[in-house]
Amino acid sequence: MTLAPFSWKEIKWGAWALISLYVSLLSGIVVGLQYDYMTPFYSTTAIDLLVPYGRFFRSLHFYSSQFFLLFSCVHLAAVYWKSEKLNYGEWIQLTATLPIILFLLFTGYILRGDNTGASAGLIAESIIHEIPFLGEILNDLLFSVSDNGLRKVYVHHVITFDFLLLLCAWNHLRIYRVNVGDYRLLLAAMLIFSIFISAPLEPEQLGITYIAGPWFFLGLQELLRYFHPLIAGVAVPGVFLIALFAARPGKDRMNVFLLGMFLWLLIYAVLSCIALLR
Amino acid sequence: MTRILKARNRWSRRELMAFLGSLALLYPICRFASFRVPRKPVPVNISKPVLTNGFLVSSDFVLFDRDGKTWALSRKCTHLGCKLTYHEDNDIFECPCHQSQFNAETGEAIRGPAVKPLVFYPVEKRESDPFYVVIT
Repeated sequence: MTLAPFSWKEIKWGAWALISLYVSLLSGIVVGLQYDYMTPFYSTTAIDLLVPYGRFFRSLHFYSSQFFLLFSCVHLAAVYWKSEKLNYGEWIQLTATLPIILFLLFTGYILRGDNTGASAGLIAESIIHEIPFLGEILNDLLFSVSDNGLRKVYVHHVITFDFLLLLCAWNHLRIYRVNVGDYRLLLAAMLIFSIFISAPLEPEQLGITYIAGPWFFLGLQELLRYFHPLIAGVAVPGVFLIALFAARPGKDRMNVFLLGMFLWLLIYAVLSCIALLR
Repeated sequence: MTRILKARNRWSRRELMAFLGSLALLYPICRFASFRVPRKPVPVNISKPVLTNGFLVSSDFVLFDRDGKTWALSRKCTHLGCKLTYHEDNDIFECPCHQSQFNAETGEAIRGPAVKPLVFYPVEKRESDPFYVVIT
């Protein structure tokens, strides 16, 4: 028996992303059966240490979510040039899924309730407060961790952002169907990976001098050191999003936006490395 | 024909009123969701009559009792809200998120990016248990 030669070009990254999302949703339901947002860190630790197979399910949920984000990004890059047939509204709808996925992962980090999660929630709250006029309303709608604990974050993680994701991706998912049975290898790889690699958890430690935030916000964490939260936390990510929305293939001056996004990502990667090495 | 198509794209008066009426519902929804119920002051009782090395690290504050003075400083960084670490050797507070530093006696920021000083919590010192009550 000879094996067919493997080609990266033949990988259907969108299908991989969708399979990862299915695993994330199902494992999230399992984890949610034991998770208590009123005592987040105790609950998360209990899932890891006390609940049978808890460590596995939490790990599966965490890593499948990370893979969902990564495969979605690769999928966007892989099919970018084929997206010329999309109209502007369809393009915006689909690219809007990326910040929604980021918020899904980010709220998941906060819900851990550990050092990273707690700090992430407080920082997000502080950044949103800096937005003129709308800051307080947005914070009360989205986070409000100081006053309401993790209640609202939990609702948004479990329902709101999933609903928004479905809303944006619905037409796309109706067109591009995926047969889960064709991706047994990917499923098996995710399950085996989660058996051996635990999801991270950082308890509060006396004398701690540095907390590294979620990996996708490390660059932002570094920027916050030098710039006002409104610049580092809102304007800079906002510029990337605007460029992404404007870079619809086939549109005039899309190359300018593409170049801008590439430079932005390069600088962000450098800042992330600096934050990681501190 | 073009005029008819253009007219069809416009909303009828009823549709416009229905839309504006729906928008009007947004205001009470936003007012409801954004209302912040005032946080109840929480007194934290400390039963230790004497603080080891003149300070006690709690979850939300650090209580000091030394040199004839008693005070409690919030552990919330004034930059972006991270929980501060108290370094006894340097007698400073340091933020693990962006390494802002604060003076442990005055609460003033001695290194950025934080600028505002730390919040002091009222402290009541008593002769009997609880020996200290900190109002957070």
